[in-house]
Amino acid sequence: MNAKNYSNELAKDMNMEAYLTEQWKAFETIYIRKIAGFSSIDLGYKLQLPIIGRVLRWNAEKMIHSESKNRKAVRGDGHFGQVIPLEEAKIIIGNLAAEPIIENYCMCRWMQRGMKERCCINFGVLSGVIEKLPRFIPQNAKVRLSRDETIARLEEHNRKGYVASVWFQPVPYINAICSCESPECGGLRLRNDFGLNTVYKAEYVMNVNPDKCQGCGSCVSMCQFSAIRLIPSLGRVIVDINKCFGCGVCRHACEHDAMNLLPRDQFLGLRGQY
Amino acid sequence: MFPKRSPKVTIDYSKCGDGGKVDPRECTKCLRACDPAVFIIHESPNMPLDPIDPKFWRITAVWLSLCTRCMKCVEVCPVGAISVSG
Repeated sequence: MNAKNYSNELAKDMNMEAYLTEQWKAFETIYIRKIAGFSSIDLGYKLQLPIIGRVLRWNAEKMIHSESKNRKAVRGDGHFGQVIPLEEAKIIIGNLAAEPIIENYCMCRWMQRGMKERCCINFGVLSGVIEKLPRFIPQNAKVRLSRDETIARLEEHNRKGYVASVWFQPVPYINAICSCESPECGGLRLRNDFGLNTVYKAEYVMNVNPDKCQGCGSCVSMCQFSAIRLIPSLGRVIVDINKCFGCGVCRHACEHDAMNLLPRDQFLGLRGQY
Repeated sequence: MFPKRSPKVTIDYSKCGDGGKVDPRECTKCLRACDPAVFIIHESPNMPLDPIDPKFWRITAVWLSLCTRCMKCVEVCPVGAISVSG
Protein backbone atom coordinates (compact mmCIF):
# COMPACT_ATOMS: atom_id res chain seq x y z
CA MET A 1 0.00 0.00 0.00
CA ASN A 2 1.81 3.02 -1.30
CA ALA A 3 0.24 6.24 -0.04
CA LYS A 4 1.58 8.16 -3.05
CA ASN A 5 -0.72 6.21 -5.38
CA TYR A 6 -3.75 7.70 -3.64
CA SER A 7 -2.57 11.31 -3.53
CA ASN A 8 -4.11 14.33 -5.20
CA GLU A 9 -0.58 15.44 -6.14
CA LEU A 10 -0.11 12.36 -8.29
CA ALA A 11 -3.51 12.98 -9.89
CA LYS A 12 -2.49 16.53 -10.67
CA ASP A 13 0.86 15.47 -12.12
CA MET A 14 -0.90 12.99 -14.37
CA ASN A 15 -3.62 15.48 -15.37
CA MET A 16 -6.23 13.03 -14.19
CA GLU A 17 -9.27 15.27 -14.19
CA ALA A 18 -9.42 15.59 -17.96
CA TYR A 19 -8.53 11.91 -18.50
CA LEU A 20 -11.17 10.60 -16.09
CA THR A 21 -13.85 12.99 -17.41
CA GLU A 22 -13.30 11.59 -20.89
CA GLN A 23 -13.41 8.02 -19.57
CA TRP A 24 -16.49 8.39 -17.40
CA LYS A 25 -18.73 10.49 -19.64
CA ALA A 26 -18.90 7.66 -22.20
CA PHE A 27 -18.01 4.64 -20.06
CA GLU A 28 -21.07 2.64 -21.16
CA THR A 29 -19.86 2.49 -24.76
CA ILE A 30 -16.59 0.79 -23.83
CA TYR A 31 -17.65 -2.66 -25.09
CA ILE A 32 -19.31 -1.31 -28.24
CA ARG A 33 -16.36 0.79 -29.30
CA LYS A 34 -14.01 -0.67 -31.88
CA ILE A 35 -10.49 -1.03 -30.58
CA ALA A 36 -7.87 -1.84 -33.23
CA GLY A 37 -10.73 -2.88 -35.50
CA PHE A 38 -12.49 -5.11 -32.95
CA SER A 39 -15.26 -4.37 -30.47
CA SER A 40 -15.98 -6.56 -27.43
CA ILE A 41 -19.18 -7.83 -29.07
CA ASP A 42 -18.95 -11.64 -28.99
CA LEU A 43 -15.52 -11.38 -27.37
CA GLY A 44 -15.70 -15.02 -26.26
CA TYR A 45 -15.79 -16.20 -29.89
CA LYS A 46 -13.15 -13.75 -31.07
CA LEU A 47 -10.68 -14.75 -28.35
CA GLN A 48 -10.94 -18.40 -29.39
CA LEU A 49 -10.12 -17.72 -33.04
CA PRO A 50 -6.76 -19.07 -34.15
CA ILE A 51 -3.99 -16.41 -34.36
CA ILE A 52 -6.43 -13.45 -34.27
CA GLY A 53 -7.62 -14.57 -30.83
CA ARG A 54 -4.07 -14.63 -29.46
CA VAL A 55 -3.28 -11.22 -30.90
CA LEU A 56 -6.52 -9.82 -29.41
CA ARG A 57 -5.72 -11.28 -25.98
CA TRP A 58 -2.18 -9.87 -26.08
CA ASN A 59 -3.48 -6.45 -27.12
CA ALA A 60 -6.23 -6.47 -24.47
CA GLU A 61 -3.75 -7.34 -21.70
CA LYS A 62 -1.43 -4.60 -22.94
CA MET A 63 -4.28 -2.07 -22.77
CA ILE A 64 -5.52 -3.19 -19.36
CA HIS A 65 -2.07 -2.75 -17.82
CA SER A 66 -0.95 0.17 -19.99
CA GLU A 67 1.27 2.81 -18.43
CA SER A 68 2.04 4.40 -21.78
CA LYS A 69 1.76 8.13 -22.32
CA ASN A 70 -0.51 7.55 -25.32
CA ARG A 71 -3.13 5.56 -23.49
CA LYS A 72 -6.72 6.40 -24.32
CA ALA A 73 -9.30 7.16 -21.66
CA VAL A 74 -12.31 5.96 -23.69
CA ARG A 75 -10.86 2.45 -23.87
CA GLY A 76 -10.33 2.31 -20.12
CA ASP A 77 -6.58 1.81 -20.55
CA GLY A 78 -4.66 1.05 -17.38
CA HIS A 79 -7.83 0.24 -15.45
CA PHE A 80 -7.51 -2.91 -13.36
CA GLY A 81 -8.01 -3.88 -9.75
CA GLN A 82 -7.63 -6.38 -6.97
CA VAL A 83 -10.08 -8.05 -4.63
CA ILE A 84 -9.49 -7.13 -0.99
CA PRO A 85 -11.02 -8.33 2.27
CA LEU A 86 -13.08 -5.85 4.30
CA GLU A 87 -10.21 -5.25 6.76
CA GLU A 88 -7.96 -3.88 4.03
CA ALA A 89 -10.74 -1.77 2.54
CA LYS A 90 -11.21 -0.18 5.95
CA ILE A 91 -7.50 0.65 6.19
CA ILE A 92 -7.57 2.26 2.74
CA ILE A 93 -10.64 4.37 3.47
CA GLY A 94 -9.50 5.22 7.00
CA ASN A 95 -5.96 6.29 6.13
CA LEU A 96 -5.11 6.48 2.45
CA ALA A 97 -8.07 7.60 0.34
CA ALA A 98 -7.94 11.23 -0.75
CA GLU A 99 -10.85 13.57 0.01
CA PRO A 100 -13.58 14.00 -1.05
CA ILE A 101 -15.04 10.50 -0.75
CA ILE A 102 -18.33 9.88 -2.54
CA GLU A 103 -20.75 7.00 -2.91
CA ASN A 104 -22.40 6.86 -6.32
CA TYR A 105 -24.42 4.49 -8.49
CA CYS A 106 -22.43 1.47 -9.66
CA MET A 107 -21.42 1.73 -13.32
CA CYS A 108 -21.32 -2.01 -13.96
CA ARG A 109 -24.73 -2.83 -12.53
CA TRP A 110 -26.17 0.04 -14.54
CA MET A 111 -24.63 -1.19 -17.81
CA GLN A 112 -25.40 -4.87 -17.29
CA ARG A 113 -28.76 -4.74 -15.52
CA GLY A 114 -30.06 -1.20 -15.93
CA MET A 115 -30.05 -1.04 -12.15
CA LYS A 116 -29.07 1.90 -9.99
CA GLU A 117 -27.36 0.55 -6.91
CA ARG A 118 -25.68 3.02 -4.58
CA CYS A 119 -22.53 1.15 -3.60
CA CYS A 120 -19.53 2.45 -5.55
CA ILE A 121 -16.99 4.32 -3.39
CA ASN A 122 -14.80 6.77 -5.30
CA PHE A 123 -12.31 9.22 -3.95
CA GLY A 124 -9.88 11.96 -4.83
CA VAL A 125 -10.09 13.66 -8.21
CA LEU A 126 -12.54 11.05 -9.55
CA SER A 127 -15.20 12.19 -7.05
CA GLY A 128 -15.35 15.63 -8.64
CA VAL A 129 -15.54 14.09 -12.11
CA ILE A 130 -18.46 11.78 -11.25
CA GLU A 131 -20.33 14.52 -9.38
CA LYS A 132 -20.74 16.33 -12.72
CA LEU A 133 -22.50 13.32 -14.31
CA PRO A 134 -26.12 13.28 -13.08
CA ARG A 135 -26.85 9.65 -14.00
CA PHE A 136 -24.45 8.37 -11.35
CA ILE A 137 -25.50 10.67 -8.55
CA PRO A 138 -28.01 9.19 -6.10
CA GLN A 139 -31.18 11.16 -5.41
CA ASN A 140 -32.34 11.54 -1.80
CA ALA A 141 -29.10 10.23 -0.37
CA LYS A 142 -25.88 11.68 0.88
CA VAL A 143 -23.24 11.67 -1.85
CA ARG A 144 -20.17 12.95 -0.04
CA LEU A 145 -19.39 10.77 2.95
CA SER A 146 -17.02 11.04 5.89
CA ARG A 147 -14.45 8.29 6.39
CA ASP A 148 -16.51 6.68 9.15
CA GLU A 149 -19.70 6.77 7.09
CA THR A 150 -17.88 5.22 4.15
CA ILE A 151 -16.51 2.38 6.27
CA ALA A 152 -20.01 1.70 7.62
CA ARG A 153 -21.43 1.58 4.08
CA LEU A 154 -18.62 -0.74 2.91
CA GLU A 155 -19.31 -3.10 5.77
CA GLU A 156 -23.01 -3.08 4.90
CA HIS A 157 -22.25 -4.03 1.28
CA ASN A 158 -19.75 -6.71 2.33
CA ARG A 159 -22.29 -8.34 4.65
CA LYS A 160 -24.78 -8.40 1.79
CA GLY A 161 -22.29 -10.51 -0.18
CA TYR A 162 -20.66 -7.83 -2.32
CA VAL A 163 -16.94 -8.30 -2.90
CA ALA A 164 -14.71 -5.34 -2.03
CA SER A 165 -12.14 -4.49 -4.69
CA VAL A 166 -9.69 -1.63 -5.14
CA TRP A 167 -8.99 -0.09 -8.57
CA PHE A 168 -6.27 1.66 -10.51
CA GLN A 169 -7.86 4.15 -12.81
CA PRO A 170 -5.45 4.47 -14.56
CA VAL A 171 -2.39 2.78 -13.11
CA PRO A 172 -0.71 3.89 -10.80
CA TYR A 173 -3.48 6.21 -9.53
CA ILE A 174 -5.92 4.49 -7.13
CA ASN A 175 -9.32 6.10 -6.73
CA ALA A 176 -12.09 3.55 -6.19
CA ILE A 177 -13.27 0.78 -3.92
CA CYS A 178 -16.09 -1.17 -5.51
CA SER A 179 -18.54 -3.66 -4.05
CA CYS A 180 -18.77 -6.15 -6.87
CA GLU A 181 -21.06 -8.93 -7.93
CA SER A 182 -20.36 -11.57 -10.55
CA PRO A 183 -21.29 -11.58 -13.43
CA GLU A 184 -22.41 -7.91 -13.33
CA CYS A 185 -18.95 -6.51 -12.60
CA GLY A 186 -17.13 -5.75 -15.84
CA GLY A 187 -13.77 -6.67 -14.35
CA LEU A 188 -14.91 -9.97 -12.90
CA ARG A 189 -16.72 -10.76 -16.14
CA LEU A 190 -13.55 -10.38 -18.22
CA ARG A 191 -11.54 -12.34 -15.67
CA ASN A 192 -13.92 -15.21 -14.98
CA ASP A 193 -15.47 -15.67 -18.41
CA PHE A 194 -12.61 -14.70 -20.69
CA GLY A 195 -9.46 -15.12 -18.59
CA LEU A 196 -8.26 -11.51 -18.95
CA ASN A 197 -6.39 -10.15 -15.94
CA THR A 198 -8.66 -7.20 -15.14
CA VAL A 199 -9.04 -8.21 -11.48
CA TYR A 200 -6.46 -9.96 -9.35
CA LYS A 201 -7.24 -12.22 -6.42
CA ALA A 202 -6.64 -11.01 -2.86
CA GLU A 203 -3.50 -11.81 -0.89
CA TYR A 204 -5.54 -14.34 1.07
CA VAL A 205 -7.47 -17.51 0.60
CA MET A 206 -10.38 -18.90 2.64
CA ASN A 207 -9.77 -21.67 5.14
CA VAL A 208 -12.53 -23.78 6.72
CA ASN A 209 -11.98 -25.33 10.14
CA PRO A 210 -13.42 -28.86 9.72
CA ASP A 211 -13.98 -29.25 13.47
CA LYS A 212 -16.04 -26.08 13.75
CA CYS A 213 -18.01 -26.33 10.48
CA GLN A 214 -21.49 -27.71 11.14
CA GLY A 215 -22.38 -28.20 7.51
CA CYS A 216 -25.20 -25.66 7.47
CA GLY A 217 -24.08 -24.38 4.08
CA SER A 218 -25.01 -20.72 4.66
CA CYS A 219 -21.63 -19.61 3.32
CA VAL A 220 -22.27 -21.30 -0.04
CA SER A 221 -24.86 -18.71 -1.02
CA MET A 222 -22.46 -15.84 -0.24
CA CYS A 223 -19.71 -16.88 -2.66
CA GLN A 224 -19.66 -14.91 -5.93
CA PHE A 225 -17.08 -17.28 -7.42
CA SER A 226 -18.73 -20.70 -6.80
CA ALA A 227 -15.69 -21.70 -4.76
CA ILE A 228 -17.58 -23.24 -1.81
CA ARG A 229 -19.57 -26.46 -1.94
CA LEU A 230 -21.48 -28.33 0.76
CA ILE A 231 -20.56 -32.01 0.94
CA PRO A 232 -23.40 -33.73 2.81
CA SER A 233 -21.47 -36.98 3.42
CA LEU A 234 -18.59 -35.08 5.04
CA GLY A 235 -21.00 -32.90 6.95
CA ARG A 236 -19.05 -29.78 6.07
CA VAL A 237 -18.20 -27.40 3.24
CA ILE A 238 -15.11 -27.59 1.05
CA VAL A 239 -13.36 -24.62 -0.58
CA ASP A 240 -11.88 -24.78 -4.05
CA ILE A 241 -8.85 -22.59 -3.37
CA ASN A 242 -8.10 -22.32 -7.06
CA LYS A 243 -11.41 -20.50 -7.48
CA CYS A 244 -11.33 -18.60 -4.17
CA PHE A 245 -10.57 -14.88 -4.56
CA GLY A 246 -9.96 -14.41 -0.84
CA CYS A 247 -12.60 -11.70 -0.44
CA GLY A 248 -13.75 -13.07 2.92
CA VAL A 249 -17.41 -12.32 2.25
CA CYS A 250 -18.49 -15.87 3.23
CA ARG A 251 -17.31 -15.26 6.80
CA HIS A 252 -20.31 -13.03 7.43
CA ALA A 253 -22.69 -15.96 6.94
CA CYS A 254 -20.86 -18.34 9.27
CA GLU A 255 -22.43 -18.63 12.71
CA HIS A 256 -19.89 -21.14 13.99
CA ASP A 257 -16.68 -19.13 13.54
CA ALA A 258 -15.39 -21.84 11.20
CA MET A 259 -13.95 -19.62 8.47
CA ASN A 260 -10.79 -17.56 8.45
CA LEU A 261 -8.50 -16.06 5.85
CA LEU A 262 -4.96 -17.37 5.43
CA PRO A 263 -2.20 -15.70 3.43
CA ARG A 264 -2.15 -17.00 -0.13
CA ASP A 265 1.63 -17.50 0.14
CA GLN A 266 1.16 -20.30 2.68
CA PHE A 267 -0.29 -22.55 0.00
CA LEU A 268 2.56 -23.82 -2.12
CA GLY A 269 0.31 -24.49 -5.08
CA LEU A 270 -1.04 -20.93 -5.05
CA ARG A 271 2.19 -18.98 -4.73
CA GLY A 272 2.28 -16.15 -7.23
CA GLN A 273 -1.20 -16.97 -8.49
CA TYR A 274 -3.40 -13.95 -8.22
CA MET B 1 -10.09 -25.46 -35.92
CA PHE B 2 -12.61 -22.63 -35.75
CA PRO B 3 -14.54 -22.15 -32.48
CA LYS B 4 -18.25 -22.74 -32.22
CA ARG B 5 -20.33 -19.83 -33.48
CA SER B 6 -22.25 -17.91 -30.83
CA PRO B 7 -26.00 -17.40 -31.11
CA LYS B 8 -27.10 -14.20 -32.84
CA VAL B 9 -29.20 -11.90 -30.71
CA THR B 10 -30.59 -8.97 -32.67
CA ILE B 11 -32.56 -6.04 -31.33
CA ASP B 12 -34.90 -4.08 -33.56
CA TYR B 13 -34.04 -0.47 -32.75
CA SER B 14 -37.16 0.78 -34.51
CA LYS B 15 -39.11 -0.85 -31.65
CA CYS B 16 -36.85 -0.12 -28.69
CA GLY B 17 -34.27 2.53 -27.85
CA ASP B 18 -32.70 5.38 -29.82
CA GLY B 19 -35.29 7.78 -28.45
CA GLY B 20 -38.24 5.78 -29.85
CA LYS B 21 -41.40 4.63 -28.10
CA VAL B 22 -39.61 2.52 -25.50
CA ASP B 23 -36.80 3.97 -23.42
CA PRO B 24 -34.61 1.01 -22.43
CA ARG B 25 -33.62 2.89 -19.27
CA GLU B 26 -37.23 2.64 -18.08
CA CYS B 27 -37.86 -0.94 -19.24
CA THR B 28 -34.65 -2.93 -18.49
CA LYS B 29 -36.67 -6.18 -18.60
CA CYS B 30 -34.25 -8.06 -20.88
CA LEU B 31 -31.24 -6.91 -18.88
CA ARG B 32 -32.73 -8.37 -15.72
CA ALA B 33 -34.19 -11.52 -17.28
CA CYS B 34 -30.88 -12.73 -18.70
CA ASP B 35 -29.09 -14.95 -16.17
CA PRO B 36 -25.63 -14.75 -17.79
CA ALA B 37 -26.12 -10.97 -18.30
CA VAL B 38 -25.47 -10.94 -22.05
CA PHE B 39 -26.95 -7.46 -22.65
CA ILE B 40 -25.43 -4.03 -22.15
CA ILE B 41 -27.25 -0.70 -22.04
CA HIS B 42 -25.32 2.17 -23.58
CA GLU B 43 -25.89 5.51 -25.22
CA SER B 44 -26.98 5.35 -28.85
CA PRO B 45 -24.24 5.99 -31.36
CA ASN B 46 -24.85 8.54 -34.15
CA MET B 47 -27.43 10.45 -32.12
CA PRO B 48 -27.22 14.08 -30.97
CA LEU B 49 -24.69 13.92 -28.14
CA ASP B 50 -25.11 15.31 -24.70
CA PRO B 51 -21.75 14.61 -23.08
CA ILE B 52 -23.06 15.16 -19.57
CA ASP B 53 -26.46 13.48 -19.55
CA PRO B 54 -27.14 11.42 -22.71
CA LYS B 55 -30.81 11.20 -23.71
CA PHE B 56 -30.71 8.39 -26.29
CA TRP B 57 -29.98 4.86 -25.14
CA ARG B 58 -30.10 1.41 -26.68
CA ILE B 59 -29.39 -2.17 -25.69
CA THR B 60 -26.87 -4.44 -27.39
CA ALA B 61 -26.21 -8.14 -26.77
CA VAL B 62 -22.46 -8.12 -26.17
CA TRP B 63 -21.43 -11.35 -24.43
CA LEU B 64 -22.96 -13.58 -27.11
CA SER B 65 -20.75 -16.60 -26.39
CA LEU B 66 -22.44 -16.86 -22.99
CA CYS B 67 -25.97 -16.91 -24.45
CA THR B 68 -27.72 -20.21 -23.75
CA ARG B 69 -30.65 -19.62 -26.14
CA CYS B 70 -33.07 -19.89 -23.21
CA MET B 71 -35.29 -17.31 -24.96
CA LYS B 72 -36.23 -15.57 -21.71
CA CYS B 73 -35.34 -12.18 -23.23
CA VAL B 74 -37.63 -12.82 -26.20
CA GLU B 75 -40.51 -13.76 -23.88
CA VAL B 76 -40.04 -10.82 -21.56
CA CYS B 77 -39.71 -8.04 -24.18
CA PRO B 78 -42.96 -6.03 -24.15
CA VAL B 79 -42.55 -4.83 -27.76
CA GLY B 80 -41.11 -7.99 -29.30
CA ALA B 81 -37.90 -6.28 -30.34
CA ILE B 82 -35.50 -9.16 -29.57
CA SER B 83 -34.88 -12.17 -31.77
CA VAL B 84 -32.43 -15.02 -31.15
CA SER B 85 -31.12 -17.23 -33.92
CA GLY B 86 -28.21 -19.51 -34.75
